[in-house]
Amino acid sequence: MAALVAESLQKSFVTGSVRTDVLRGLSIEIEAGELTLVSGPSGCGKSTLLAILSGLLKPDAGRAIALGQDLARLAPTELERFRLHNTGFVFQGFNLFPALDALEQVALPLGYLGLDDATARSRARRALEEVGLESRLALRPAELSGGEKQRVAIARALAKEPKLLFADEPTSALDAANGQVVIDTLHRIARTHGATVLCVSHDPRLVAHADRVLAMEDGRILSDRRVEPAAAAG
Amino acid sequence: MVPLARRTLVYEWRRFLPSLLAVAFSGLLLLVQAALVFGIFDSAAVYITRSGGDLWVGHPGTQSIELGRPIPNDTEIRLRMDPDVARVEPFMWIDGDWRGPADRGGLSVFVSGIDTRADAMVFADVLPPALRASLDEPDGVIVDRADLAKLGLGIGGRAVINGHRVRIVGVASGLRALGGVNIVASLETARRLDNDHGGTEVAYYVVRLRDGADAESVRARLQPTSATKRYEVWTRDAFARRAVTYWMFETGAGLGVVLLALVVFFVGAIITSQTLMGAVAGSIREYATLHALGVAFGDLRRVVLQQAAWVGAAGLAVGGVLTAIVVVLAKHRDVPVQLDAATVVACAALVMGIALVSGLAAVRALRHADPAMLLR
Repeated sequence: MAALVAESLQKSFVTGSVRTDVLRGLSIEIEAGELTLVSGPSGCGKSTLLAILSGLLKPDAGRAIALGQDLARLAPTELERFRLHNTGFVFQGFNLFPALDALEQVALPLGYLGLDDATARSRARRALEEVGLESRLALRPAELSGGEKQRVAIARALAKEPKLLFADEPTSALDAANGQVVIDTLHRIARTHGATVLCVSHDPRLVAHADRVLAMEDGRILSDRRVEPAAAAG
Repeated sequence: MVPLARRTLVYEWRRFLPSLLAVAFSGLLLLVQAALVFGIFDSAAVYITRSGGDLWVGHPGTQSIELGRPIPNDTEIRLRMDPDVARVEPFMWIDGDWRGPADRGGLSVFVSGIDTRADAMVFADVLPPALRASLDEPDGVIVDRADLAKLGLGIGGRAVINGHRVRIVGVASGLRALGGVNIVASLETARRLDNDHGGTEVAYYVVRLRDGADAESVRARLQPTSATKRYEVWTRDAFARRAVTYWMFETGAGLGVVLLALVVFFVGAIITSQTLMGAVAGSIREYATLHALGVAFGDLRRVVLQQAAWVGAAGLAVGGVLTAIVVVLAKHRDVPVQLDAATVVACAALVMGIALVSGLAAVRALRHADPAMLLR
């Protein structure tokens, strides 16, 4: 079974008296060990798809199955536990606590996983080394560049060793070079950790770095294509 | 575990400063109020607590010392008959009408008539022997230094009480009382001033017991048992407590204290919770990210409550220092203030209550930490 399965997902939002259908019976399967990119114009429903597949949002109809679990069947606390043990997130805004240095940002969620301080710190250090920030461990967000902040956020997601990694517009606040580093890192995580990386972006530069690209429009998948390994190796 | 609550407090201290100050001033208000109220009400018992002796004997049912009424003369004999009684000292307490300088009008005063011997028990802590001896001058009286301005006179000043002339021969500190000016005179002078009873009866007898005697059992023995008892016996502490309790609860002042404490509690809690909520709202995206990563709401709640507890502890420390300064200043200026450990602990508990109630209110701001909002 695929790591993530969407079965006839439907979702609509009501704003005042206006009802907007965001997902219209969308079905898709996403495999482990690769970076899947969902692209499309803003408002096409790609972020909503990510929210539902990661268990942050419930669909109006259809099923979202992650690692064989029907997410709708989990109680709120079970869903929290599922996310704690299996998912990592990277958001457009880096959402780092201003008071914590890079090492603490990454170690913080590990404490809630039940790891002792020493283990959490050494794992956090490894994750920061993996994103190339070994020289920035003691710096606070105010002392880091945008690209470095996003890499801290990736390290925070990565340190939990999640089977599922969700990224929402991870490069939109970054310049080309930093965007490149971030997408390379996400790609490498999929390959070397065997994680399922689902990335949502309207940034066309990312297409070349994905293993698979899903193009969305108006709540549906328009195209589903694999990127040539040579191009994806980047 | 990374100490998120503490790190955030230290790093973003400006954000938490208003709530810390709100807690500190709540603590200051509660403590100073308590100190003043207990100081004032303790002065209701000041004549008892600053006198020696083990037992007080007065009119049955007397609630507070200024409400004393004459008791029969033979009481003294009955007291002296008990083998454990070492000494009995009469203490006159009469109401007086004070007429000082013409432009001041009249004043209601209490006149205490006391034994002037050096080892007398009444006001033992207030009047040193030399000052006490000065009362032997006929018509000589002693007043509290803080009352001089009210009386419009200095040492040597002359006035009239109940139509009899008196002269201020000295001032003391610690005679200030609730409900009126206290004038101390010798028993002889006081008898002359007592128009109502002709100075034949006194309001109290203060009793010293022999060393080793148990005050409570002697009190029980001396207490008249008949239904028509003409006097009542209290231990010194019980009589002092009685006076404080009377002022606290019979005058409505105690209720005022409780009401003011409630107001302070609510105002403090509202200000503190608003600022804590603001701090939570300022970090809402970070909290939402943690929640997305699977950190339970309960754990996020704990972070906010920890912050509230730290704010409470720090505010309490600041409030405590401010209170100490105020109390020292007040004592310096003869303002009656009184703080005991139980009061401080109660106020501290109330202040921590303010912080924790505020924390609980601020936890509500966390419900906006919905990770789905990060994806819009």
